Amino acid sequence: MSKNLSALSGRKGLDNNLFDQLVSASKEGGTLTDEKLRELAWEYLMGNANTYGTISFYDFLKKENKGKKVYVCNGSACLVAGTQGNVTQKLASYFSEEEVGHMCCLGRCHENSAFNVNGYNYSGNAINNLNSIVTSKINGLEKYTVGANVKNKVLTGNPMDAATFKQLFIKAKNMGFEKVLDEIKVASVRGRGGAGFPMGLKWESCKNSQSDQKFIVCNADEGDPGAYSDRYLLEVQTYSVLFGIMMAGLVVGADRGVVYLRAEYPEAIEITQKAIDTLTAIGMNGSNIGDSNLDFTFKIIEGAGAYVCGEETALLSSIEGQRPEVRVRPPYPTQEGLFGKPTVVNNVETLAAVPWILENGGESYAALGTTKSKGTKLVCLDSFFNTPGIYEIEMGTPLEKVIQHFGGGFKSDVKALHIGGPLGGIVPVHKIKELTLDFESFQKEGFLLGHASVVSIPHDFSMIKYMEHLFEFTAAESCGKCFPCSIGSVRGKEMFTKALEGEKINQELLNDLLETMEIGSLCALGGGLPLGIKNALHYFKEELNPHLSA
Amino acid sequence: MSKGQSKIAYINNEPFEVQGEETILTFLKRYMGNEPVPTLCDAPNLKPFGSCRVCSVEVALQQDGPTKVQASCHTPVVEESYIYTHTAKIEKLRKNIVELVLTDYPADKFKTDSPKNNELKKVALDLNITPDEVRYASGKNHLNRGVDNDHPYMRSDLSACINCYRCIRACDEVQGEMVLTMVGRGFDNTVTMGMNEGFKESDCVSCGACSQACPTGAITDVFNSKTNEAAETIRTICTYCGVGCNLDVAVKDNEVISITAPYDAEVNQGHTCLKGRYAFKFYNHPERLRSPLIKRNGSFVEVSWDEVYDYIVDKLNTIKTNNGPNAIAGISSARCTNEENYLMQKFIRAVVGTNNIDGCARVCHSPTALGMQRAFGTGAATNSIIDLEYTNCMLVIGANPTAAHPVTGAKLKQAAMKGTTLIVVDPRETVLARFADYHLQLRPGTNVALLNMMLHYIIKENVQDDHFIDNRTEGFDDFKKQILALDMDEMSKVTGVDKHLVCDAAVAYAQAKNAMSFHGLGVTEHSQGTFTVQLIADLALITGNIGRRGVGVNPLRGQNNVQGSADMGVQPHQGAGYMDITKPEIQNLYTNFYKVEMPKEVGYKIPEMFDAAIDGKLKALWIIGEDVVQTDPNTAKVKKALESLDLFIVQELFMTETALLADVVLPGASFLEKSGTFTNGERRVQRVNATVSPIEGTKVDGQIIVDVMNRMGYAQPDYDAKTMLEEISQIVPFFKGIRWEMLGVNGKQWPVLEDGKGTEIIHLEEFKRGKGKFSYFDWKETEEITANGKEYPYIITTNRELAHYNCGAMTRRTGNVEITTEDVLLINPEDALANNISDGDLVCVSSARGKVDIKAKISLEVKQGIMSTTFHFPEIMVNLITSDVYDSEAKCPEYKVVAVNIRKSKGSYAMS
Repeated sequence: MSKNLSALSGRKGLDNNLFDQLVSASKEGGTLTDEKLRELAWEYLMGNANTYGTISFYDFLKKENKGKKVYVCNGSACLVAGTQGNVTQKLASYFSEEEVGHMCCLGRCHENSAFNVNGYNYSGNAINNLNSIVTSKINGLEKYTVGANVKNKVLTGNPMDAATFKQLFIKAKNMGFEKVLDEIKVASVRGRGGAGFPMGLKWESCKNSQSDQKFIVCNADEGDPGAYSDRYLLEVQTYSVLFGIMMAGLVVGADRGVVYLRAEYPEAIEITQKAIDTLTAIGMNGSNIGDSNLDFTFKIIEGAGAYVCGEETALLSSIEGQRPEVRVRPPYPTQEGLFGKPTVVNNVETLAAVPWILENGGESYAALGTTKSKGTKLVCLDSFFNTPGIYEIEMGTPLEKVIQHFGGGFKSDVKALHIGGPLGGIVPVHKIKELTLDFESFQKEGFLLGHASVVSIPHDFSMIKYMEHLFEFTAAESCGKCFPCSIGSVRGKEMFTKALEGEKINQELLNDLLETMEIGSLCALGGGLPLGIKNALHYFKEELNPHLSA
Repeated sequence: MSKGQSKIAYINNEPFEVQGEETILTFLKRYMGNEPVPTLCDAPNLKPFGSCRVCSVEVALQQDGPTKVQASCHTPVVEESYIYTHTAKIEKLRKNIVELVLTDYPADKFKTDSPKNNELKKVALDLNITPDEVRYASGKNHLNRGVDNDHPYMRSDLSACINCYRCIRACDEVQGEMVLTMVGRGFDNTVTMGMNEGFKESDCVSCGACSQACPTGAITDVFNSKTNEAAETIRTICTYCGVGCNLDVAVKDNEVISITAPYDAEVNQGHTCLKGRYAFKFYNHPERLRSPLIKRNGSFVEVSWDEVYDYIVDKLNTIKTNNGPNAIAGISSARCTNEENYLMQKFIRAVVGTNNIDGCARVCHSPTALGMQRAFGTGAATNSIIDLEYTNCMLVIGANPTAAHPVTGAKLKQAAMKGTTLIVVDPRETVLARFADYHLQLRPGTNVALLNMMLHYIIKENVQDDHFIDNRTEGFDDFKKQILALDMDEMSKVTGVDKHLVCDAAVAYAQAKNAMSFHGLGVTEHSQGTFTVQLIADLALITGNIGRRGVGVNPLRGQNNVQGSADMGVQPHQGAGYMDITKPEIQNLYTNFYKVEMPKEVGYKIPEMFDAAIDGKLKALWIIGEDVVQTDPNTAKVKKALESLDLFIVQELFMTETALLADVVLPGASFLEKSGTFTNGERRVQRVNATVSPIEGTKVDGQIIVDVMNRMGYAQPDYDAKTMLEEISQIVPFFKGIRWEMLGVNGKQWPVLEDGKGTEIIHLEEFKRGKGKFSYFDWKETEEITANGKEYPYIITTNRELAHYNCGAMTRRTGNVEITTEDVLLINPEDALANNISDGDLVCVSSARGKVDIKAKISLEVKQGIMSTTFHFPEIMVNLITSDVYDSEAKCPEYKVVAVNIRKSKGSYAMS
C-alpha cells in the first residue's frame, strides 16, 4: 500500500474513480491496452508501472484474460459435486479453449454446474440449454429455498421497498443519528464477514476520527466458495443493505457509500444499481436526501476477480486502483481508510440488519441469540442437502437442527462439512451434534463460524485431494505480500500434489508449515488456511495416514 | 520506575520506558541495539511494511500470560505488555520462514555472497539455516528470471529477489517516481520496471534508491555499490548542487569504487540522485588534466609546477607594476571548498591588492543575496529543508528542483503527492507543476508583474497578517498604495495568467498556517531579478511567513558551494563575512587581520571584467573551475574578452572551452581528492573529506593558491582544512563557533555562535536589519524584448536537465552522458507545425547575437511562443544566442528571456 497512490487516487476520488476506469476499459477486450494504461497513469499522476501492476493482479483485468468469453466456476462446492468436467466439456462445442476461463465462485453452490457467459451466471440444468443461452442472452434462473427459525425475521422477511426506505430514513432522522448509534450498540451486532467485530464500536471509532471526509464501504466481495447469502441479500433485500450503508454514513459523518461488489455476481450488480437509481428518483440518493439537508451518495464499485479483496484493507486498496495487497494495521480503516480518510468497512449481512434494529429496537435484536452472539445468522447450504438454500438461524441454534430441519438431511453420504469458507474448519459429521450456531461454540470446538457457508464433502471425495484444493486456492488467491502465505501456500500445495502421486508427506514439515502460516501470516488468508487442514489431519487420520510419513 | 509518569513495557521481562506511539521494533532497537531481531523487509528510510514476518516476537499482556505472535516492525507497543524476542517458538518461526524463502533462492549465490552484503544470508546464518538444510522438495521457483544489463547504471538479476518490496517502496516513498511495481499475484509476484520494459526503457531516473534498498543484490548497479568489497568508506559531501547530500564513498587501493548515501545524514537521509551516487567516474577520467600547461606559439606545452609558478608570478608582478593591481582579477569557483574560496579572495585582495574578485554566484543567485539582504539583512535561506515537514503550503517560483536539486525536488514532490498545497510559478509545465494545485504558467520575463498580482490580491482579499506587518516590518503603507493602484486585467494580459487563478493561489499561500517559498534561477536570471527576490520577500512579510518552522524564503542554491563562496568574500563589494569593503572600519578590520593594506574601491563584477578586458583595462584574469565560455551568455563577447587579456590563467579539471583560450592551465583537484567544507543552500557547513589522493600531476586547488601567495611574498601556511577553517572563524562573524573537529557528520548551520551552536531558522524575533522592509517595483519589459521582440518573436528560456550539471565537464565524462546525450529544444506542437518542424528535426535558432542548430523535441511542457533548452553540451553552445542584458542591480545575466526566431535547419543532424 502506498500513501502516495492513496492520495493521488483520492484527488479524483469516487466520481472519476481509477479502479472504475480500469474495470470499464477492460470490458471490451477482457484487458487493457498498454496505451490505455499509460494514458490512465498520466491522468492520475502515477507511474505507468502502477496501472500495469494493478491490472496484472486481477483475474478479469490481466493480460491473460484477453478474449475470454465464458467462465467455469471452480469453487469448492462445484468441485466436490463433480459437475464441472461435464460443464467444460459441453462448453467446448461452443467456445475454443482460449475463450474459457475460470471464476471462483459464482455462488450457485445450491445447484452447481455453474458458469458465466455474456455477463450472466447459470447453474443446475442450464448447461443442457447452452444453445439458447449463447444465442438469446437470457437471464440465468436458479432455485433455492429461503427459510428462518425466528418469527420476526431480521434478514429474510418481506423485502423493503424504496418508499419504506424513505419512511425509515425519516424515522431515523427524527430519532437523531446519535440515537441510531445507541440502538446499534445496544443490539450488539457483530460483523458477519467472519471476524465478528462489534459494528457499533466500529461506527463510533470512525465517528470520533477527525476528517473533512469519510467513507462507508460495504464489503460485498463474498468470495468464500460455498457462500451466497450476501448475494441473496443484495438481490432480494437490496434496500435493507443500502439503508444500512446510509445509516452508517449519517452516524459517522460520511456522505459517500461504496458497495464493493464482486464481478462474479453480475445479477446482484444490476439489481443493486437499479435500486440506487430508484433511490435517486425519489430523492434519496445524492444531495439533500429526503429534503433533510443531508447528503449521501451511493456508488457501486465492481470487483475484478480477486478473493483477497474480501479482506478489508486489500479492498480499500482495490477501490483506490492500487494492487490489493493487505495493509498493516494500525492504522485501522476507521482512522485511515479509503484515500487515507476514516472509513467504515462493513459486510453486507451486518448492514442488512440495520433497518430491523431501527424498527424493532436494539434490545429486541439483542434478545435474539446467545449472550455473546446476538441476533440471527444466514447459513448457506449446498446441493448435497435435500433442501439447499439460505436459512436465517437464531444464534445458538443446534447445528443438527439446521441440517435436519432446514436442510432436510443429506442427499447422499457426506463425511464432513467445510463451514465458514476456505479458511473455516472441516467439521466431521459426528461433531455436528456438539455444535450450536454461534461464534463461541465453533471456536470452542476448534472450528470457525465465519460467514457460515456450508460445503459438504461427500464420503467418496478424497480428503487429500480436498486439502490440495485448499492449498491451491490459497496459492492462487494469496496477494503475495507476506512470505508465509505466498511461499507457504505453494509449498503446501506441492506437498499434497506429490502425495496424490504417491509420495509421502513429511508430517513434521507439514506441521511446521501450518504453524508458520498460522502464526506468521499477515492476514486471515494465510493465517486461516491451516485450521481446516489441521481439522482434517485430526479427524481423518485413518484416511490420511497412508499418505503421511511415520 | 513509577507508573503514571512514564509508559513501561517489558523486554524479556525487563522493564523499559516506551516513548510515545512507537512500534515494537523501534522500542527494541533503543534498548537492544540496531538489530534486536532479524528483519528482511524493513529499511531505515522506509515505512513499516510487514511482509517478511521474521521480525515477529511474542507479546503477552501479563507476565507469563498467553502470548500472541506479532510482527514487531508494524505493531505498536502496548503499555505494560511483555515482549519476548527470542523464545523457542519465535526462533522456530523465523527459521521456518527463512527456510521457505530459501526454497526459491539461488543456492550458489547464497554460497558466494558475503553475509556482510547479503542480508538474507546474514539472517539465515544467524538462524542456523542454509540452502542445504531446506526440507522442501524442489518445486515451483523463480531461479531463472532474466538479468537486466541494458541501463548505464542500474542492474537487476531478479532470480535473487525475495519479494520484500523494498525497491518498490524506495522508488515510491523515497524518490516518488513509481517506476517499480509488482506484477502478478501471490508467489508469482515479480518486481517489474515500468510496463515490463527494463530499467533503460522505463521512466527510471537512476537515483539508485532501489539498489540501495535491496537486501540481496537482486537490484544493484554497475558499481555493485552494496556488494563490492571496499577497503574503507569515507563520508563526504556531494559536489553537484546546493542540496549538500552526504555521501559514503567506498575506496579500494586509492580508487573510488562506488558511492552510497548514509541513512543518518540529516540532509539526505539515505537518498541521493544519479549525479551524487553514480556520476563520479569523471575524477580519474583519461581526459583529466595531469600537468601544468603553458601556451607557446599557440599550443600547450607541459611544464613543471616550479616553471608554471615562476611564469605566473613574473607575469602578475609585471602587470601589477605596469598597470596597477586593478588590472588583475580573479573568478573563484563555487565547486571549491570554503577554505579555497577564502584563500582566492584573500590572494586577490591581500596579495594582488584589488577587489576584483567574483564568482559564479554572479550568474546565478547574486540577485538573491542582494535582494534578501535588502529585505531582511541576510542573503541566505531563512529556513531549512527539514521545514518541509512542518509546512502547509509550498510556493515554488522559477525552479525545477526535480531536475536541478533532485533530493529536495523529491521531498517537495512527496509532500505535494500527500496533499501539501503546492503553487508553481513557471513558464514550463515542470514535473512539480503537474502535481501543483495552482500552476501559474507565466510568460518568461513577467515575474514582477505576477508577484505584484499576488501581493495585490492578498491585500484586496484582506488575508494579510496585520499583526506581523505592524510589529516586524516597515514601508508597508507606501507599498500598499502602489500595489493597490495596479490594474489586474492589464497585469493578467502581461503575464498571460488568468487573474482569478492568481488570486486563488495568493489566497492559498496567505491563508496557509505555514507557507514556504522556494526559488531558483527562473527568478534571478532576469533583468528584474533582484526586484523579484524582494517581492518574494514581500510575500513572506505580508503573510507573516518568517521566523518559525515551516515558513520562510528559501533560495535553491545552484552549485554545491555557491553559498559558501559568497560567505567567504568572493564578491567585489564585500569581503569574507559579507562586510562592506568601502567602509573604513571594515578596511581597518581586514588590514589588521591580513596584515597588509586593503584595496578601497569596489572591484569588477564578472560582466564588468569582460568589458574591462575588451577595453584594455583588465590585463590578467585567473579563473578557477568555471567554464565561462560555455556557460556565460553571449559567447562571442566572452571569447573576445578573454582573448584580449595579457595573462589568462585557468585552473581546471579538464580542457574546457574556457581552458582552451588560456595562456596557463593549472590542473586542480576534484572534490573527491581534497578536504575542506562546503556550505549548502540551508547555510549548513559540512565537512568534505578527501577520499583518495589527488591524481598524479594535479594539486589541491587551495595549495596552488597558497604556493603562488608565498611566491608573491605573502607568508601563507600550506593548505590544511582545519587550520584554514580556524583562520576563517576569526574573521567571519557567523563562523565564530565553527571548528573542524566539531562539525560532526552532519555539519552546522550558520550563524554558529561562539559556543558552537548552529541556527536552523534565522530572523526569529527580529530581522538581521531590524525590520523587514517592504519594497514595491513596477514591472518593466526587458530590453531584450523591446529591442529584439519584433524581429525575433519567440522566447527561449534556458533550463537544466537531471543528468547533467552546468557545463557538463564532469557529468559528460560519466555514464550520465548515455542517459541524456545532447541538448534539445523543447517546442510546442503548434509552433512546430507553424514552422514545419517535426520531432527530431534540426532547428536553426537565431537571436540578435548569433545562431545555433539544435534538435527539436516537440513537447507540451512549453506554451505556444515559448521554447526551452539547456547548455550542458559544447557541441551546441547555446550561449552563442543568449543575451547580455543583466539584472539592473546585481548584474546577473538574463538567461531566461532570449528573443529568437526559428526555422527548420538546412544542415543535417549528425548522430553522435
